[in-house]
Amino acid sequence: MLDLFARNRVATLLVILVVAYAAIGAAAPGYLSGATASTVLASSLVLMLISLGTMVVIVTRNIDVSSGSVLGLSAAVLGLSLNAGVGLPLAVALCMLTGVAAGAFNGLMVAYLGIPSIVATLGTLGLYRGIMLVMTGGRWIEDLPQDLKALAGNLGLGFSVLTVVVVAIIGGLWLFLRRTRFGRFFYAVGDNRAAAHHLGVPVRRVQFSAFVATGACAALASIVYSAQIGFIPNQAGNGVELKAIAVNVLGGVSLLGGTGSVAGVVAAVIFITSIDSALVFLKIPAYWNDFIAGALLLSVLLLDGRIRQVIDHRIRARRYAVHDRTPVVEGRDQTSKALEAGL
Amino acid sequence: MTKDLAAGRVAVLEDIWKSYGAVPVLRGVSLALGAGEVHALLGGNGAGKSSLMKIIAGIIPANSGRIEINGQFLTHASPALAQELGLYLVPQEAHILPNQSVLENICLGLRASPRALRPRVRTLVQELSVAIDLDAQAATLEIAERQIVEILRGLVRDARVLILDEPTSALTPFETRALFDRVRKLQMQGVGIFFISHKLREIREICSTISVLRDGIIVLSGSLDDYNDGEIVKAMSHVQTSAEGEKTSILAKVAQIGQPRLSVRGLSGEGFRDISLEVRAGEILGLAGVVGAGRTEFAETLFGLRKQFAGSVHLDGVELSQRSPRLCIDKGLVYLPEDRQQNGLFLEAPLFWNVSSYLIHRLPFFLRSSQERLSFDGFRNSMGIKCTSAGQAARGLSGGNQQKVLMAKCLSARPKVLILDEPTRGVDVAARNDIYALIRTLAADGVAIVLISSDFDEIEQLADRVQVMAFGQHGGALVDDISVDAIAKLAFGASEANHA
Repeated sequence: MLDLFARNRVATLLVILVVAYAAIGAAAPGYLSGATASTVLASSLVLMLISLGTMVVIVTRNIDVSSGSVLGLSAAVLGLSLNAGVGLPLAVALCMLTGVAAGAFNGLMVAYLGIPSIVATLGTLGLYRGIMLVMTGGRWIEDLPQDLKALAGNLGLGFSVLTVVVVAIIGGLWLFLRRTRFGRFFYAVGDNRAAAHHLGVPVRRVQFSAFVATGACAALASIVYSAQIGFIPNQAGNGVELKAIAVNVLGGVSLLGGTGSVAGVVAAVIFITSIDSALVFLKIPAYWNDFIAGALLLSVLLLDGRIRQVIDHRIRARRYAVHDRTPVVEGRDQTSKALEAGL
Repeated sequence: MTKDLAAGRVAVLEDIWKSYGAVPVLRGVSLALGAGEVHALLGGNGAGKSSLMKIIAGIIPANSGRIEINGQFLTHASPALAQELGLYLVPQEAHILPNQSVLENICLGLRASPRALRPRVRTLVQELSVAIDLDAQAATLEIAERQIVEILRGLVRDARVLILDEPTSALTPFETRALFDRVRKLQMQGVGIFFISHKLREIREICSTISVLRDGIIVLSGSLDDYNDGEIVKAMSHVQTSAEGEKTSILAKVAQIGQPRLSVRGLSGEGFRDISLEVRAGEILGLAGVVGAGRTEFAETLFGLRKQFAGSVHLDGVELSQRSPRLCIDKGLVYLPEDRQQNGLFLEAPLFWNVSSYLIHRLPFFLRSSQERLSFDGFRNSMGIKCTSAGQAARGLSGGNQQKVLMAKCLSARPKVLILDEPTRGVDVAARNDIYALIRTLAADGVAIVLISSDFDEIEQLADRVQVMAFGQHGGALVDDISVDAIAKLAFGASEANHA
């Protein structure tokens, strides 16, 4: 049982989520409904995209703190071109291109110029936000055309076009990281860079690709963001990068690289968003949100850390138990075999 | 097919030059390796062996020169290309991905999936007769098991050229034997092997040709039978240390062996039980055994790093019951750990920090680095540590010099009892002789020394008395007739006698 929770962060999160839902459902009847589910799903999309993008970078043992600014910059490109009369498909393409270019610049600095990722992306965090402010003159972009807002419209069962796209990305990313050779390289690079290089893994290309993917995810998130709220404030996406990193940690992605799963991140995003929606439903003032989310994050991590310690302890005890029971007999078997075979 | 491949040469190096900044490391090295040839490559620390091998394997680029593997040129430095051409480098320090399974570690970088390769890997594991769980997480592996993963990587890649960089430094004698059998089989299949080792006995056993590198050039090359050990050691370094070493040894034995310093009674802990021993001032006690016999666990328990289950430890007649590393250091019981990269050195810190780190709690609040440097320079001169300055980062030093820095760190605590765990692993012959001489001098000065080693030659040369551990228990003791054979017999448990 303990092993299950330690190995599987998704299981831990789901159990806590079910308990939390049951408690809130009991306290406030009417919370558990299809409407709640579709609200949670819709409002999780932006964080989902940013968190998945950030995860790809963290798995390769880098970090990206610029994705909130990339979101803002891509949104500005989208909004400005739409308001200049550019058609929606072209505007979306320009927006995506902006995100990819911003990610590629991060990747260039980290993978090819050897700048530590925290430093490089801290720099672009300011830089990209600055470009956005210069482009918009610091003003909000309003009066976005209806066809953009229609993307967030309900197709049925609370799904919009955007939801479908995000679900497809989740599936695609899972397939890529779990089932492809190039996907495995991401884990290898994060786990032990020197070893990966030694075994012929194209380390730099992998690191570069990870940043490009993050940029693309941030651009996509900017489209979701603009479609959902219908205007673009000049602080769009501000701070979402830190929330995404917290989500990754909660979802079992190690900041030391090499581990983490798409399922864990998805579960963590749903978890965090559910809490936000539950607080609204329970009429707790919105200024409590950050406090409660932070406290919950810490509790899950502390619990997880304790479980891991218990398990490590058990593994260690089991390993050395061999010596305590019948050391000589066991040893003798091995050695006599060894002697027959080799000496 | 080129002329070289037709002549049966699987790897050819021509006029390789390499320098780091202004420091030349390789100065025009040419080497050829034939199919089925096991070619020993020797050289002191810093002679350029590692750089040369990394260049062949495409890990670092050469400044100039040509490399041909299996008749094709290695056109640019790329490990992937070198492996495609049929070359694999088994490095000395295994490259492990701790979060992945053993199988995934072995198969990473190959086109086929781990699942498809499983049967082949399993066959190789059986042929090597090693016990390793393919599904275990690699982080749980011991040093020896990590080495085996690297060797399996080379085998599963069907390499035509293998470079084995000190492959036996972490293996038990039995595993070494199995590896050598495997090497002979590969040799018959026409695989060419560069074999890097510091152990001449091993080289004699398995290699046919030899090249010695010194200061970036090849100073000796040819058939192994044409050279005796003395000539080889001499070629590696101008300094002839072994005769000197013998003399100190005699001096040390003559020195008075005094009062019991450390006495351990019935100590049990993780991985060992009921171990008793006594070391006197000026005595070198060899604690022999194979990898996994529980010696490191014993030493770590002694030093307060692990929990003790039963038993008592007395230092100069005073019981140390609640031990912590700091208490042990303060009382003069000092431990030199086995894995210097992981447990011993601060790799990024200057050398003088490393040396004074043991006594950090005794230093004044405001550090005076001039004094620390001074004390480091003392050790540097007396131990012959090769470095550019006291402020150099430890990472930049060769293995032998890193080990000397670690010894200096231990000595700065003025130990009464010194526990040395594998003090010469991965250290070249010259530096090894320096370390042996140092150990003897320390003993002559009245330090009680516990020498843990899997290298039975080393124990035979240094120890006044030997105690053997096998499978976590007391395996026997030797006082007068200390020989490699006698130690090996005890280390494998009583079973050999039963079996015979």
